Amino acid sequence: MLLHILNRSPATSEVYRQALSAMGAADRLLLIEDGVQGALGPLVECFGDLTGRLYALEEDLSARGLVPLCDASVVKVDVEGFVTLTEEAMRTVSWF
Amino acid sequence: MMRYGILLMGAPYSSQAAHSALRFARAVAGRGHRLEGVFFYHDGVHNAARLAAPPQDEPHLVDGWAALAEDHGVSLQVCIAAALRRGLLDEREAARHGKQGHSVEPPFELTGLGQLVDLGLRCDRLVTFGP
Amino acid sequence: MANDKAQWMEGDLLVILRHGPHGTSWLREGLDAALVAAAFGRRVTLLFMGEGVTALVPGQSGGPLGQKGTAPTLEMLEMYDIDSLLVEADALARFGLCVDGLLLPARAAGPLELSALARTHALVLTF
Repeated sequence: MLLHILNRSPATSEVYRQALSAMGAADRLLLIEDGVQGALGPLVECFGDLTGRLYALEEDLSARGLVPLCDASVVKVDVEGFVTLTEEAMRTVSWF
Repeated sequence: MMRYGILLMGAPYSSQAAHSALRFARAVAGRGHRLEGVFFYHDGVHNAARLAAPPQDEPHLVDGWAALAEDHGVSLQVCIAAALRRGLLDEREAARHGKQGHSVEPPFELTGLGQLVDLGLRCDRLVTFGP
Repeated sequence: MANDKAQWMEGDLLVILRHGPHGTSWLREGLDAALVAAAFGRRVTLLFMGEGVTALVPGQSGGPLGQKGTAPTLEMLEMYDIDSLLVEADALARFGLCVDGLLLPARAAGPLELSALARTHALVLTF
């Protein structure tokens, strides 16, 4: 299982498609920085069915005032949780 | 305990990448992992600019990296080819190129790209932060 | 067959190139990382993804003011024993390119192979 890290908003960049196409069936996706915009209700659909494998960095959501808008299907993690995700994954791949 | 490396390719204050990387670096060290090194490549080399003078109410990222190096013995490796092109020279390179003054100083060290490959393959995890 | 499992690339380093020449330094600096890794004896796979496929369009030249292109660097890959060149099949189609008409011999990678590449390389660098 790999951890993919995306920092671009799916509303402005197609990089999320590259991340998705490189993901294996068990891989996880963590949204950070502007990537957390993808955790919002309508935009979360860009990621198809990643239920349980789609994460967002809480402090990036929080800094942008987006915590209340974060879709329930997205798992929020703090920076410690970010480190944990990297521990659990065999390696990480960043998309920016 | 795992060995971590970080690759940073975003310039400070232009994108969030440097903030994210420094924050992550602190968290990795805080969890008891060994952060072996941070490699600065592409526009990330600007993180080594000793002349950076951000306003006082903003975090000083260059000093932040230096503090990380001091607190946790993390090596700060700056790609020499990417740095020289962008005007980031340590004392030795400045002398070699006949420049007055220098823009990089320890704990940042100018080094070759081979160090990135070495860091990436030696560590259990390499995490990249791009702009 | 793009997705013949027996052909799937393995190696030490996967370098993903997602930018064309000239516009930014991503392609140049990504290629530099690949060359250095190969010079250190690492097995390198290059994946040209998205816009990165335009790096392999023939007939490139330097830019104005003497801006260096990347085609000469690409031509050095073979000298460094980098012969695992993959191009994203979808990107080829998108740019109207054909795998046979590229600057260097490369193989089209379909969705299944793409989704496995990061797992079969010890280190993945995206540029």
